[in-house]
Amino acid sequence: MSKIVIIEDEKSIRDELCLLLVNAGYEAVVTEDFSDTVSWVLAQSPDLILLDVGLPGQDGYALCSAIRRASEVPILFVTSRDTSMDELKALSLGGDDFIVKPYNIPVLLARIQAILRRGGTAAGESLTVNGLSLYLSRSSIQHGDAAMDVTKNESRILWCLMQRPGEIVSRADMIEFLWDNQVYIDDNTLSVNMTRLRTKLRELGLENYIRTKRGMGYKI
Amino acid sequence: MSAGDYFRDNLGRLLFHLTGMGALSVFLLLTDTAGGIVTIILIVWVLGLILALAVDFARQRKRLEELWAILDGLPQKYLFMECAPKPHTEYERGLYQIMRTAGKSMIGEVSAVRRQQKDYREYIENWVHEIKVPITAIRLICENNRGDTTRKIMPQLAQIEEQVERSLYYARSEQVERDFVIRRTTLAAVVDAALAKYRTLLIQNGVCVETKNLDIPVYTDAKWLEFIIGQMLSNSVKYCGEQAVITIAAVNDADGTRLCITDNGIGIPAAELPRIFDKGFTGSNGRLRGGATGMGLYLCKKLTAHLNVDLSAKSVENEYTSMILCFSAILTKL
Repeated sequence: MSKIVIIEDEKSIRDELCLLLVNAGYEAVVTEDFSDTVSWVLAQSPDLILLDVGLPGQDGYALCSAIRRASEVPILFVTSRDTSMDELKALSLGGDDFIVKPYNIPVLLARIQAILRRGGTAAGESLTVNGLSLYLSRSSIQHGDAAMDVTKNESRILWCLMQRPGEIVSRADMIEFLWDNQVYIDDNTLSVNMTRLRTKLRELGLENYIRTKRGMGYKI
Repeated sequence: MSAGDYFRDNLGRLLFHLTGMGALSVFLLLTDTAGGIVTIILIVWVLGLILALAVDFARQRKRLEELWAILDGLPQKYLFMECAPKPHTEYERGLYQIMRTAGKSMIGEVSAVRRQQKDYREYIENWVHEIKVPITAIRLICENNRGDTTRKIMPQLAQIEEQVERSLYYARSEQVERDFVIRRTTLAAVVDAALAKYRTLLIQNGVCVETKNLDIPVYTDAKWLEFIIGQMLSNSVKYCGEQAVITIAAVNDADGTRLCITDNGIGIPAAELPRIFDKGFTGSNGRLRGGATGMGLYLCKKLTAHLNVDLSAKSVENEYTSMILCFSAILTKL
Protein backbone atom coordinates (compact mmCIF):
# COMPACT_ATOMS: atom_id res chain seq x y z
CA MET A 1 0.00 0.00 0.00
CA SER A 2 1.45 3.36 -1.02
CA LYS A 3 2.04 5.87 1.74
CA ILE A 4 1.08 9.45 1.01
CA VAL A 5 2.02 12.40 3.18
CA ILE A 6 -0.38 15.35 3.11
CA ILE A 7 1.12 18.73 3.98
CA GLU A 8 -1.84 21.05 4.22
CA ASP A 9 -2.59 23.63 6.91
CA GLU A 10 -6.34 23.93 6.33
CA LYS A 11 -7.91 21.43 8.69
CA SER A 12 -11.13 20.82 6.74
CA ILE A 13 -9.27 20.03 3.54
CA ARG A 14 -6.64 17.98 5.33
CA ASP A 15 -9.20 15.74 7.01
CA GLU A 16 -11.33 15.22 3.91
CA LEU A 17 -8.34 14.64 1.67
CA CYS A 18 -7.05 12.10 4.13
CA LEU A 19 -10.41 10.31 4.11
CA LEU A 20 -10.53 10.41 0.31
CA LEU A 21 -7.10 8.84 -0.02
CA VAL A 22 -7.85 6.18 2.56
CA ASN A 23 -11.08 5.33 0.69
CA ALA A 24 -9.06 5.14 -2.52
CA GLY A 25 -6.84 2.53 -0.88
CA TYR A 26 -3.81 4.53 0.16
CA GLU A 27 -2.21 5.05 3.52
CA ALA A 28 -2.43 8.75 4.30
CA VAL A 29 -0.41 10.60 6.95
CA VAL A 30 -0.98 14.19 8.06
CA THR A 31 0.66 16.66 10.38
CA GLU A 32 -0.68 19.62 12.32
CA ASP A 33 2.70 20.88 13.35
CA PHE A 34 4.59 22.83 10.71
CA SER A 35 7.63 23.82 12.77
CA ASP A 36 10.06 21.18 11.46
CA THR A 37 8.18 19.74 8.54
CA VAL A 38 11.21 18.60 6.54
CA SER A 39 12.58 16.16 9.09
CA TRP A 40 9.08 14.97 9.92
CA VAL A 41 8.41 14.20 6.23
CA LEU A 42 11.73 12.45 5.77
CA ALA A 43 11.11 10.38 8.89
CA GLN A 44 7.84 9.16 7.39
CA SER A 45 9.63 7.94 4.23
CA PRO A 46 6.50 8.31 2.08
CA ASP A 47 5.92 7.17 -1.51
CA LEU A 48 4.39 10.51 -2.43
CA ILE A 49 3.97 13.98 -0.91
CA LEU A 50 0.95 16.18 -1.50
CA LEU A 51 2.26 19.67 -0.83
CA ASP A 52 0.31 22.89 -0.36
CA VAL A 53 2.09 26.16 -1.13
CA GLY A 54 0.58 28.54 1.42
CA LEU A 55 1.79 27.17 4.75
CA PRO A 56 2.55 28.80 8.09
CA GLY A 57 6.27 29.55 8.37
CA GLN A 58 8.18 27.98 5.52
CA ASP A 59 6.11 27.96 2.31
CA GLY A 60 5.64 24.98 0.03
CA TYR A 61 8.30 26.06 -2.47
CA ALA A 62 10.97 26.33 0.20
CA LEU A 63 9.84 23.04 1.68
CA CYS A 64 10.05 21.36 -1.71
CA SER A 65 13.63 22.38 -2.35
CA ALA A 66 14.59 21.40 1.22
CA ILE A 67 13.05 17.94 0.77
CA ARG A 68 14.70 17.60 -2.66
CA ARG A 69 18.11 18.09 -1.11
CA ALA A 70 17.62 14.93 0.93
CA SER A 71 15.19 12.78 -1.05
CA GLU A 72 13.89 11.92 -4.51
CA VAL A 73 10.38 11.20 -3.26
CA PRO A 74 7.70 12.34 -5.77
CA ILE A 75 6.11 15.67 -4.83
CA LEU A 76 2.71 16.73 -6.10
CA PHE A 77 1.93 20.39 -5.54
CA VAL A 78 -1.68 21.07 -4.60
CA THR A 79 -2.37 24.77 -4.42
CA SER A 80 -4.89 27.50 -5.07
CA ARG A 81 -2.17 29.62 -6.72
CA ASP A 82 -3.02 28.91 -10.30
CA THR A 83 -0.82 30.95 -12.63
CA SER A 84 1.61 29.43 -15.09
CA MET A 85 4.35 31.23 -13.16
CA ASP A 86 3.44 29.31 -10.00
CA GLU A 87 3.45 26.06 -11.94
CA LEU A 88 6.81 26.82 -13.50
CA LYS A 89 8.27 27.63 -10.10
CA ALA A 90 6.91 24.45 -8.55
CA LEU A 91 8.26 22.25 -11.32
CA SER A 92 11.63 23.96 -11.47
CA LEU A 93 12.10 23.43 -7.73
CA GLY A 94 11.74 19.70 -8.22
CA GLY A 95 7.98 19.18 -7.99
CA ASP A 96 6.73 16.26 -10.09
CA ASP A 97 3.30 17.66 -10.86
CA PHE A 98 1.14 20.65 -10.08
CA ILE A 99 -2.59 20.60 -9.53
CA VAL A 100 -4.81 23.57 -8.80
CA LYS A 101 -7.48 23.84 -6.14
CA PRO A 102 -10.40 23.36 -6.35
CA TYR A 103 -9.32 20.22 -8.13
CA ASN A 104 -11.41 17.76 -9.95
CA ILE A 105 -11.23 14.74 -7.64
CA PRO A 106 -10.92 12.00 -10.29
CA VAL A 107 -8.19 14.08 -11.91
CA LEU A 108 -6.37 14.35 -8.59
CA LEU A 109 -6.59 10.60 -8.02
CA ALA A 110 -5.49 9.89 -11.59
CA ARG A 111 -2.43 12.13 -11.20
CA ILE A 112 -1.52 10.48 -7.90
CA GLN A 113 -1.84 7.08 -9.55
CA ALA A 114 0.24 8.19 -12.52
CA ILE A 115 3.06 9.53 -10.34
CA LEU A 116 3.13 6.43 -8.14
CA ARG A 117 3.17 4.22 -11.21
CA ARG A 118 6.04 6.18 -12.71
CA GLY A 119 8.16 5.39 -9.68
CA GLY A 120 7.17 1.72 -9.50
CA THR A 121 6.09 -0.73 -12.16
CA ALA A 122 5.19 0.41 -15.66
CA ALA A 123 1.56 0.78 -16.63
CA GLY A 124 -0.01 -2.51 -17.66
CA GLU A 125 -0.91 -2.12 -21.28
CA SER A 126 -2.79 -5.38 -21.45
CA LEU A 127 -5.41 -7.10 -19.33
CA THR A 128 -6.87 -10.59 -19.42
CA VAL A 129 -10.21 -11.36 -17.78
CA ASN A 130 -12.30 -14.51 -18.29
CA GLY A 131 -10.31 -15.61 -21.31
CA LEU A 132 -10.44 -12.30 -23.17
CA SER A 133 -7.27 -10.25 -23.56
CA LEU A 134 -7.28 -6.54 -24.29
CA TYR A 135 -4.17 -4.84 -25.72
CA LEU A 136 -4.56 -1.12 -25.19
CA SER A 137 -1.63 0.10 -27.27
CA ARG A 138 -2.66 -2.00 -30.28
CA SER A 139 -6.40 -1.46 -29.73
CA SER A 140 -7.12 -5.14 -30.23
CA ILE A 141 -8.81 -7.98 -28.38
CA GLN A 142 -7.97 -11.65 -28.41
CA HIS A 143 -9.93 -14.75 -27.41
CA GLY A 144 -8.14 -18.03 -27.91
CA ASP A 145 -6.61 -17.79 -31.38
CA ALA A 146 -9.09 -15.27 -32.72
CA ALA A 147 -8.09 -11.61 -32.58
CA MET A 148 -9.96 -8.52 -33.63
CA ASP A 149 -9.37 -4.77 -33.77
CA VAL A 150 -11.50 -2.45 -31.66
CA THR A 151 -11.92 1.32 -31.76
CA LYS A 152 -10.45 3.61 -29.12
CA ASN A 153 -13.87 4.07 -27.54
CA GLU A 154 -14.55 0.34 -27.42
CA SER A 155 -11.15 -0.44 -25.93
CA ARG A 156 -11.65 2.17 -23.21
CA ILE A 157 -15.08 0.77 -22.36
CA LEU A 158 -13.64 -2.72 -22.05
CA TRP A 159 -10.69 -1.40 -20.04
CA CYS A 160 -13.08 0.25 -17.61
CA LEU A 161 -15.03 -2.99 -17.03
CA MET A 162 -12.04 -5.31 -17.04
CA GLN A 163 -10.31 -3.34 -14.31
CA ARG A 164 -13.16 -4.18 -11.99
CA PRO A 165 -14.13 -7.78 -12.82
CA GLY A 166 -17.17 -9.04 -10.94
CA GLU A 167 -18.21 -5.51 -9.98
CA ILE A 168 -21.24 -3.71 -11.35
CA VAL A 169 -20.13 -0.49 -13.03
CA SER A 170 -22.88 2.11 -13.41
CA ARG A 171 -23.30 3.96 -16.69
CA ALA A 172 -22.61 7.26 -14.92
CA ASP A 173 -19.34 5.93 -13.49
CA MET A 174 -18.43 4.51 -16.87
CA ILE A 175 -18.99 7.80 -18.65
CA GLU A 176 -16.89 9.60 -16.04
CA PHE A 177 -14.12 7.05 -16.49
CA LEU A 178 -14.25 7.50 -20.26
CA TRP A 179 -14.04 11.30 -19.97
CA ASP A 180 -10.98 10.92 -17.76
CA ASN A 181 -9.46 8.86 -20.58
CA GLN A 182 -10.11 11.38 -23.34
CA VAL A 183 -13.25 9.70 -24.67
CA TYR A 184 -15.88 12.42 -24.48
CA ILE A 185 -19.19 10.67 -25.11
CA ASP A 186 -22.74 10.95 -23.80
CA ASP A 187 -25.21 8.30 -22.68
CA ASN A 188 -26.60 7.56 -26.16
CA THR A 189 -23.19 7.23 -27.74
CA LEU A 190 -22.20 4.89 -24.93
CA SER A 191 -25.18 2.67 -25.83
CA VAL A 192 -24.19 2.66 -29.49
CA ASN A 193 -20.57 1.81 -28.66
CA MET A 194 -21.68 -0.88 -26.24
CA THR A 195 -23.86 -2.53 -28.92
CA ARG A 196 -20.99 -2.50 -31.43
CA LEU A 197 -18.60 -3.90 -28.86
CA ARG A 198 -21.01 -6.72 -28.01
CA THR A 199 -21.37 -7.58 -31.70
CA LYS A 200 -17.59 -7.89 -31.97
CA LEU A 201 -17.43 -10.01 -28.82
CA ARG A 202 -20.16 -12.27 -30.22
CA GLU A 203 -18.09 -12.75 -33.38
CA LEU A 204 -15.26 -13.93 -31.14
CA GLY A 205 -17.67 -16.42 -29.59
CA LEU A 206 -18.14 -14.48 -26.37
CA GLU A 207 -21.89 -14.13 -26.12
CA ASN A 208 -22.92 -12.35 -22.90
CA TYR A 209 -19.33 -11.46 -21.97
CA ILE A 210 -20.62 -8.14 -20.74
CA ARG A 211 -23.77 -8.60 -18.71
CA THR A 212 -26.36 -5.88 -18.24
CA LYS A 213 -27.72 -5.37 -14.76
CA ARG A 214 -30.96 -3.58 -15.44
CA GLY A 215 -31.09 -0.16 -13.81
CA MET A 216 -27.66 -0.64 -12.26
CA GLY A 217 -25.04 -0.94 -14.93
CA TYR A 218 -22.70 -3.45 -16.54
CA LYS A 219 -20.56 -6.26 -15.25
CA ILE A 220 -17.94 -8.66 -16.55
CA MET B 1 0.80 76.95 -36.83
CA SER B 2 0.39 78.38 -40.31
CA ALA B 3 1.29 81.90 -41.49
CA GLY B 4 -2.45 82.66 -41.64
CA ASP B 5 -2.85 81.70 -37.97
CA TYR B 6 0.09 83.88 -37.03
CA PHE B 7 -1.34 86.78 -39.07
CA ARG B 8 -4.69 86.52 -37.27
CA ASP B 9 -2.93 86.35 -33.88
CA ASN B 10 -1.02 89.57 -34.68
CA LEU B 11 -3.84 91.51 -36.31
CA GLY B 12 -3.87 94.04 -33.48
CA ARG B 13 -0.20 94.77 -33.83
CA LEU B 14 -0.54 95.17 -37.62
CA LEU B 15 -3.44 97.57 -37.24
CA PHE B 16 -1.39 99.59 -34.75
CA HIS B 17 1.51 99.84 -37.22
CA LEU B 18 -0.82 100.76 -40.12
CA THR B 19 -2.42 103.46 -38.01
CA GLY B 20 1.05 104.67 -37.05
CA MET B 21 2.12 104.78 -40.70
CA GLY B 22 -1.01 106.66 -41.66
CA ALA B 23 -0.62 109.20 -38.85
CA LEU B 24 3.07 109.76 -39.60
CA SER B 25 2.39 110.20 -43.34
CA VAL B 26 -0.33 112.78 -42.64
CA PHE B 27 1.93 114.61 -40.17
CA LEU B 28 4.95 114.61 -42.56
CA LEU B 29 2.86 115.72 -45.56
CA LEU B 30 1.26 118.51 -43.49
CA THR B 31 4.78 119.65 -42.45
CA ASP B 32 5.76 119.91 -46.13
CA THR B 33 7.97 116.82 -46.34
CA ALA B 34 8.52 115.68 -49.89
CA GLY B 35 6.27 112.80 -51.03
CA GLY B 36 9.34 110.75 -52.06
CA ILE B 37 10.79 110.86 -48.57
CA VAL B 38 7.48 109.83 -47.04
CA THR B 39 7.36 106.90 -49.47
CA ILE B 40 10.91 105.83 -48.55
CA ILE B 41 10.13 106.03 -44.81
CA LEU B 42 7.00 103.93 -45.34
CA ILE B 43 8.86 101.35 -47.44
CA VAL B 44 11.59 100.99 -44.79
CA TRP B 45 8.97 100.75 -42.06
CA VAL B 46 7.01 98.07 -43.92
CA LEU B 47 10.15 96.07 -44.74
CA GLY B 48 11.34 96.30 -41.14
CA LEU B 49 7.94 95.20 -39.89
CA ILE B 50 7.77 92.26 -42.29
CA LEU B 51 11.27 91.16 -41.28
CA ALA B 52 10.49 91.41 -37.55
CA LEU B 53 7.23 89.49 -37.96
CA ALA B 54 8.87 86.83 -40.14
CA VAL B 55 11.63 86.24 -37.60
CA ASP B 56 9.11 86.10 -34.77
CA PHE B 57 6.87 83.71 -36.75
CA ALA B 58 9.79 81.41 -37.55
CA ARG B 59 10.87 81.37 -33.91
CA GLN B 60 7.42 80.61 -32.60
CA ARG B 61 6.91 77.88 -35.16
CA LYS B 62 10.25 76.28 -34.39
CA ARG B 63 9.47 76.34 -30.69
CA LEU B 64 6.10 74.67 -31.21
CA GLU B 65 7.60 72.01 -33.45
CA GLU B 66 10.17 71.30 -30.79
CA LEU B 67 7.46 70.88 -28.15
CA TRP B 68 5.37 68.66 -30.42
CA ALA B 69 8.38 66.46 -31.06
CA ILE B 70 8.86 65.97 -27.32
CA LEU B 71 5.17 65.20 -26.87
CA ASP B 72 5.13 62.73 -29.75
CA GLY B 73 8.07 60.89 -28.29
CA LEU B 74 6.33 60.38 -24.96
CA PRO B 75 4.18 57.30 -24.48
CA GLN B 76 2.45 58.87 -21.47
CA LYS B 77 1.40 62.30 -22.69
CA TYR B 78 0.56 63.54 -19.23
CA LEU B 79 4.26 63.46 -18.34
CA PHE B 80 4.95 66.20 -20.91
CA MET B 81 5.66 68.98 -18.46
CA GLU B 82 8.36 66.85 -16.82
CA CYS B 83 10.26 66.89 -20.11
CA ALA B 84 9.39 70.35 -21.45
CA PRO B 85 12.38 72.69 -22.12
CA LYS B 86 13.05 75.63 -19.82
CA PRO B 87 11.00 78.77 -20.63
CA HIS B 88 12.70 81.73 -22.36
CA THR B 89 10.40 84.66 -21.58
CA GLU B 90 8.43 85.77 -18.53
CA TYR B 91 5.19 84.97 -20.34
CA GLU B 92 6.40 81.45 -21.14
CA ARG B 93 7.60 81.06 -17.57
CA GLY B 94 4.09 81.83 -16.35
CA LEU B 95 2.52 79.30 -18.70
CA TYR B 96 5.20 76.79 -17.79
CA GLN B 97 4.43 77.12 -14.10
CA ILE B 98 0.71 76.72 -14.65
CA MET B 99 1.09 73.65 -16.86
CA ARG B 100 3.63 72.11 -14.56
CA THR B 101 1.29 72.42 -11.59
CA ALA B 102 -1.55 70.94 -13.64
CA GLY B 103 0.70 68.10 -14.84
CA LYS B 104 1.90 67.35 -11.32
CA SER B 105 -1.62 67.03 -10.06
CA MET B 106 -2.46 64.74 -12.99
CA ILE B 107 0.54 62.52 -12.30
CA GLY B 108 -0.51 62.32 -8.67
CA GLU B 109 -4.03 61.32 -9.62
CA VAL B 110 -2.85 58.72 -12.10
CA SER B 111 -0.49 57.04 -9.68
CA ALA B 112 -3.12 57.09 -6.94
CA VAL B 113 -5.60 55.35 -9.26
CA ARG B 114 -2.92 52.89 -10.35
CA ARG B 115 -2.15 52.06 -6.76
CA GLN B 116 -5.82 51.62 -5.96
CA GLN B 117 -6.26 49.37 -8.97
CA LYS B 118 -3.26 47.30 -8.00
CA ASP B 119 -4.51 47.01 -4.41
CA TYR B 120 -7.92 45.99 -5.65
CA ARG B 121 -6.52 43.41 -8.01
CA GLU B 122 -4.39 41.96 -5.26
CA TYR B 123 -7.38 41.89 -2.98
CA ILE B 124 -9.45 40.07 -5.62
CA GLU B 125 -6.66 37.57 -6.24
CA ASN B 126 -6.28 36.89 -2.56
CA TRP B 127 -9.99 36.65 -2.10
CA VAL B 128 -10.19 34.11 -4.91
CA HIS B 129 -7.42 32.04 -3.33
CA GLU B 130 -9.20 32.18 0.02
CA ILE B 131 -12.58 31.21 -1.42
CA LYS B 132 -11.00 28.25 -3.17
CA VAL B 133 -10.25 26.68 0.21
CA PRO B 134 -13.89 26.17 1.24
CA ILE B 135 -14.83 25.25 -2.35
CA THR B 136 -12.19 22.53 -2.30
CA ALA B 137 -13.36 21.39 1.10
CA ILE B 138 -17.00 21.18 -0.07
CA ARG B 139 -15.94 19.22 -3.11
CA LEU B 140 -13.98 16.75 -1.01
CA ILE B 141 -16.87 16.39 1.43
CA CYS B 142 -19.24 15.68 -1.49
CA GLU B 143 -16.85 13.10 -2.90
CA ASN B 144 -16.49 11.38 0.47
CA ASN B 145 -20.27 11.31 0.98
CA ARG B 146 -21.59 10.48 -2.47
CA GLY B 147 -25.34 10.50 -2.74
CA ASP B 148 -28.29 12.21 -4.37
CA THR B 149 -27.85 15.39 -2.35
CA THR B 150 -24.17 15.76 -3.16
CA ARG B 151 -24.90 15.08 -6.84
CA LYS B 152 -27.18 18.11 -6.71
CA ILE B 153 -24.64 20.22 -4.83
CA MET B 154 -21.78 19.51 -7.24
CA PRO B 155 -23.14 21.37 -10.29
CA GLN B 156 -24.04 24.36 -8.11
CA LEU B 157 -20.51 24.33 -6.77
CA ALA B 158 -19.19 24.19 -10.32
CA GLN B 159 -21.15 27.35 -11.10
CA ILE B 160 -19.68 29.14 -8.10
CA GLU B 161 -16.26 28.08 -9.26
CA GLU B 162 -16.81 29.33 -12.77
CA GLN B 163 -17.92 32.75 -11.56
CA VAL B 164 -15.04 32.99 -9.11
CA GLU B 165 -12.56 32.11 -11.79
CA ARG B 166 -14.04 34.62 -14.17
CA SER B 167 -13.63 37.44 -11.66
CA LEU B 168 -10.01 36.41 -11.20
CA TYR B 169 -9.30 36.55 -14.92
CA TYR B 170 -11.14 39.83 -15.20
CA ALA B 171 -8.87 41.33 -12.59
CA ARG B 172 -5.88 39.84 -14.38
CA SER B 173 -6.84 40.99 -17.84
CA GLU B 174 -6.13 44.59 -16.80
CA GLN B 175 -2.51 44.04 -15.82
CA VAL B 176 -0.97 41.03 -17.41
CA GLU B 177 2.76 41.24 -17.05
CA ARG B 178 3.00 39.39 -13.78
CA ASP B 179 1.48 36.00 -14.32
CA PHE B 180 1.98 35.42 -17.94
CA VAL B 181 4.25 32.61 -19.09
CA ILE B 182 4.55 31.62 -22.72
CA ARG B 183 5.71 28.03 -22.95
CA ARG B 184 5.50 25.17 -25.38
CA THR B 185 2.42 23.07 -24.96
CA THR B 186 0.08 21.19 -27.25
CA LEU B 187 -3.49 22.04 -28.13
CA ALA B 188 -4.45 18.52 -27.01
CA ALA B 189 -3.06 19.07 -23.52
CA VAL B 190 -4.90 22.36 -23.07
CA VAL B 191 -8.18 21.09 -24.52
CA ASP B 192 -8.06 17.96 -22.35
CA ALA B 193 -7.44 20.09 -19.25
CA ALA B 194 -10.40 22.33 -20.12
CA LEU B 195 -12.63 19.32 -20.77
CA ALA B 196 -11.58 17.75 -17.47
CA LYS B 197 -12.57 20.94 -15.69
CA TYR B 198 -15.99 21.10 -17.33
CA ARG B 199 -16.54 17.35 -17.25
CA THR B 200 -19.40 17.39 -14.75
CA LEU B 201 -21.30 20.13 -16.57
CA LEU B 202 -20.83 18.53 -19.98
CA ILE B 203 -21.80 15.01 -18.88
CA GLN B 204 -24.81 16.26 -17.01
CA ASN B 205 -26.08 18.03 -20.12
CA GLY B 206 -25.49 14.95 -22.27
CA VAL B 207 -22.90 16.62 -24.44
CA CYS B 208 -20.63 14.63 -26.75
CA VAL B 209 -17.25 16.10 -27.57
CA GLU B 210 -15.25 15.15 -30.63
CA THR B 211 -11.61 16.16 -30.76
CA LYS B 212 -9.70 16.12 -34.03
CA ASN B 213 -6.10 16.74 -34.98
CA LEU B 214 -5.08 18.43 -31.74
CA ASP B 215 -1.52 17.13 -31.48
CA ILE B 216 -0.13 20.47 -32.54
CA PRO B 217 2.48 22.29 -30.46
CA VAL B 218 1.78 25.93 -29.62
CA TYR B 219 3.60 28.56 -27.64
CA THR B 220 1.15 30.14 -25.27
CA ASP B 221 0.11 30.48 -21.65
CA ALA B 222 -1.63 27.15 -21.06
CA LYS B 223 -3.65 28.34 -18.06
CA TRP B 224 -5.13 31.28 -19.91
CA LEU B 225 -5.93 29.26 -22.99
CA GLU B 226 -7.56 26.64 -20.80
CA PHE B 227 -9.73 29.32 -19.23
CA ILE B 228 -10.70 30.72 -22.66
CA ILE B 229 -11.64 27.28 -24.02
CA GLY B 230 -13.54 26.63 -20.80
CA GLN B 231 -15.63 29.76 -21.33
CA MET B 232 -16.52 28.55 -24.80
CA LEU B 233 -17.49 25.09 -23.55
CA SER B 234 -19.64 26.72 -20.92
CA ASN B 235 -21.35 28.85 -23.59
CA SER B 236 -21.93 25.84 -25.81
CA VAL B 237 -23.67 24.07 -22.94
CA LYS B 238 -25.70 27.16 -22.11
CA TYR B 239 -26.96 27.51 -25.68
CA CYS B 240 -27.16 23.88 -26.75
CA GLY B 241 -30.04 22.14 -28.43
CA GLU B 242 -31.08 18.47 -28.44
CA GLN B 243 -28.29 15.93 -28.97
CA ALA B 244 -25.52 18.42 -28.29
CA VAL B 245 -22.20 17.76 -29.98
CA ILE B 246 -19.13 19.97 -29.61
CA THR B 247 -16.36 19.52 -32.13
CA ILE B 248 -12.91 20.76 -31.23
CA ALA B 249 -10.64 20.62 -34.25
CA ALA B 250 -7.43 22.24 -35.36
CA VAL B 251 -6.39 23.12 -38.88
CA ASN B 252 -2.82 23.92 -39.87
CA ASP B 253 -2.17 26.18 -42.82
CA ALA B 254 0.33 28.72 -44.07
CA ASP B 255 -0.95 31.50 -41.79
CA GLY B 256 -0.67 29.36 -38.69
CA THR B 257 -3.06 27.17 -36.75
CA ARG B 258 -6.77 27.62 -36.31
CA LEU B 259 -8.51 25.97 -33.38
CA CYS B 260 -12.25 25.77 -33.99
CA ILE B 261 -14.70 25.00 -31.22
CA THR B 262 -18.00 24.32 -32.93
CA ASP B 263 -21.31 23.34 -31.39
CA ASN B 264 -24.62 22.40 -32.94
CA GLY B 265 -26.56 24.72 -30.67
CA ILE B 266 -29.08 27.48 -31.25
CA GLY B 267 -26.55 29.79 -32.91
CA ILE B 268 -26.32 33.57 -32.91
CA PRO B 269 -28.50 35.87 -35.07
CA ALA B 270 -26.42 37.42 -37.86
CA ALA B 271 -27.30 40.93 -36.72
CA GLU B 272 -25.84 40.26 -33.26
CA LEU B 273 -22.71 38.45 -34.36
CA PRO B 274 -20.48 41.55 -34.66
CA ARG B 275 -21.30 42.57 -31.10
CA ILE B 276 -20.87 39.34 -29.14
CA PHE B 277 -17.39 40.30 -27.91
CA ASP B 278 -18.60 43.65 -26.56
CA LYS B 279 -18.64 44.14 -22.81
CA GLY B 280 -22.07 43.53 -21.33
CA PHE B 281 -23.65 42.39 -24.59
CA THR B 282 -26.09 39.56 -23.88
CA GLY B 283 -28.10 39.36 -27.10
CA SER B 284 -31.54 37.87 -27.64
CA ASN B 285 -30.40 34.34 -26.70
CA GLY B 286 -28.93 35.55 -23.45
CA ARG B 287 -32.11 37.40 -22.57
CA LEU B 288 -34.36 34.46 -23.47
CA ARG B 289 -32.37 31.79 -21.65
CA GLY B 290 -31.13 33.99 -18.82
CA GLY B 291 -27.89 33.69 -16.93
CA ALA B 292 -25.90 35.73 -19.43
CA THR B 293 -23.67 38.46 -18.06
CA GLY B 294 -22.07 39.60 -21.30
CA MET B 295 -18.68 39.16 -19.68
CA GLY B 296 -17.44 35.75 -20.83
CA LEU B 297 -16.68 36.44 -24.47
CA TYR B 298 -15.58 40.00 -23.71
CA LEU B 299 -12.97 38.57 -21.35
CA CYS B 300 -11.95 35.94 -23.89
CA LYS B 301 -11.39 38.60 -26.50
CA LYS B 302 -9.31 40.65 -24.10
CA LEU B 303 -7.20 37.70 -23.00
CA THR B 304 -6.64 36.40 -26.53
CA ALA B 305 -5.38 39.83 -27.51
CA HIS B 306 -2.71 39.54 -24.81
CA LEU B 307 -1.84 36.05 -26.04
CA ASN B 308 -1.49 37.32 -29.61
CA VAL B 309 -4.26 35.00 -30.70
CA ASP B 310 -7.00 36.22 -33.00
CA LEU B 311 -10.48 35.29 -31.81
CA SER B 312 -13.45 35.34 -34.16
CA ALA B 313 -16.84 33.70 -34.43
CA LYS B 314 -19.05 32.24 -37.12
CA SER B 315 -22.62 31.18 -36.68
CA VAL B 316 -25.84 30.27 -38.44
CA GLU B 317 -28.95 30.54 -36.34
CA ASN B 318 -30.39 27.18 -35.27
CA GLU B 319 -27.47 25.38 -36.85
CA TYR B 320 -24.11 26.03 -35.24
CA THR B 321 -21.76 28.44 -33.52
CA SER B 322 -18.05 28.24 -34.16
CA MET B 323 -15.41 30.03 -32.12
CA ILE B 324 -12.14 30.30 -33.97
CA LEU B 325 -8.82 30.86 -32.24
CA CYS B 326 -6.16 31.71 -34.76
CA PHE B 327 -2.53 31.22 -33.69
CA SER B 328 -0.15 32.96 -36.05
CA ALA B 329 2.57 30.77 -37.56
CA ILE B 330 5.16 32.20 -35.19
CA LEU B 331 3.30 30.75 -32.19
CA THR B 332 3.30 27.24 -33.62
CA LYS B 333 6.65 26.91 -35.37
CA LEU B 334 9.10 28.59 -33.05
